[in-house]
Amino acid sequence: MKSALESMLFVWGDPLPAKNAGDVFGISQEETEELLDELMVEYEERGSGIQIRRINASYQLVTKEENADFIRRLATPVKVKKLSQAALEVLAIIAYKQPVTKAEMEAIRGTRCDRVVDGLEAKGLVRECGRSTGAGRPVLYGTTDKFLEVFGFSDLSELPSIDLFESDSASAAEEEDSESDQRQLHFPFGM
Amino acid sequence: MSYKVRLPLFEGPFDLLVYLIERAKVSIYDIPIAEITAQYMDYLRDMRELNVSLSSEFLVLASELLQIKSQMMLPGQREKEEPLTEDPRSDLAERLAEYRKCKLAGTMLRKRESEMRDIYRKPQEDLHEYTDHPDEVLSLGMDDFVKAFRAFLHRKKTVADTVNRYTLLERERRTVEAKMMHIRDVMLRAKDWEIREISFSDFVENPESRMDTIVSFLSLLQLSRDQYLQPEQRFLYGEITIRSGKKDFAEFDAEEAAGRAAGDLQIV
Repeated sequence: MKSALESMLFVWGDPLPAKNAGDVFGISQEETEELLDELMVEYEERGSGIQIRRINASYQLVTKEENADFIRRLATPVKVKKLSQAALEVLAIIAYKQPVTKAEMEAIRGTRCDRVVDGLEAKGLVRECGRSTGAGRPVLYGTTDKFLEVFGFSDLSELPSIDLFESDSASAAEEEDSESDQRQLHFPFGM
Repeated sequence: MSYKVRLPLFEGPFDLLVYLIERAKVSIYDIPIAEITAQYMDYLRDMRELNVSLSSEFLVLASELLQIKSQMMLPGQREKEEPLTEDPRSDLAERLAEYRKCKLAGTMLRKRESEMRDIYRKPQEDLHEYTDHPDEVLSLGMDDFVKAFRAFLHRKKTVADTVNRYTLLERERRTVEAKMMHIRDVMLRAKDWEIREISFSDFVENPESRMDTIVSFLSLLQLSRDQYLQPEQRFLYGEITIRSGKKDFAEFDAEEAAGRAAGDLQIV
């Protein structure tokens, strides 16, 4: 069965939900996840250049990061557009505070978030997940499995604790001095 | 043309404020408000000189800073009130702390995004020949299908004609009042010829004009409410048929129409 699962992962390419894989054999989701977890370990122990990663309740075959250089030498991958600073900030808010409304996001960021959220939604990184009970019943947003995939989290519990980001200005300033100098260089602007 | 400038560009007013505070190496919870406000305003002025327009949120925060500054500078007030008055900066400090957390979290995400770019995966194989989803079968009677198709062709033709003709949209000044008079004429004529049922499209004098259709519909609603007409729609999205209502149209004159239309929106 593990052999069949392995083939299925290969053919599927996208993250394969354990439930669907299990249905093929008529076994439960838990059993399937156990088998896939075992397979994950086997790949690791073999020192294979391919690994299995988990995204919530799905599994996917991917390459090992250490081989990235060689892969790139083999073929030039298409340059994917990176997310903007604003997009990352909003995404961070949604990730940590979900479910959250646009108004709440704007209160934290101090600027409007409309278009950024729409952009993130178009990229499949966030989605609407209900409505708040407040006045006007505003829409609530949360992250998607694709978000987990893109940023390499197996599930939301893997998000680094938000307390790590709480640092008083004095110490943070020292750490970030070099970064803020870099930031000046990052913003050449054309007129 | 692009060139590097000394001035960094900020995502928003909080971004700027956090930067100034950290550069001054002070705590968010104990901002030297006068100094920071001055630097903030300097930045706004510099941006204005460079003709860079900043979002209005920058100005909103500027006024907030100035207000906090003036609050901090009023010694008289603090003596009169309880010694433990709330620090006017504390609300701002909380918000800045929240913002800074989100900014750092954003940086964390950016780092991970980069790291994840070293991992590749294969796209899904083309499996369509193995899936056995039957094609959706449309279960419609032939008559309905033909009708729908004809309507589709007609609509398409209408659109094409309009596009080809480049007609100017006439802004007819059409009041509900006038339309009601027209409906009255139609209904009386129908009565003369002993036609019991009229279809809604008979009220619309110019089918090309959406305005005409709207006005006709509003008039229909009004007249139905006043019992001059009795409309019916048998199928969803089907034709609306109208019969004479309890009240007789023969007595419906211009004054009546004006009365009915009064209080309604006059459509320009």
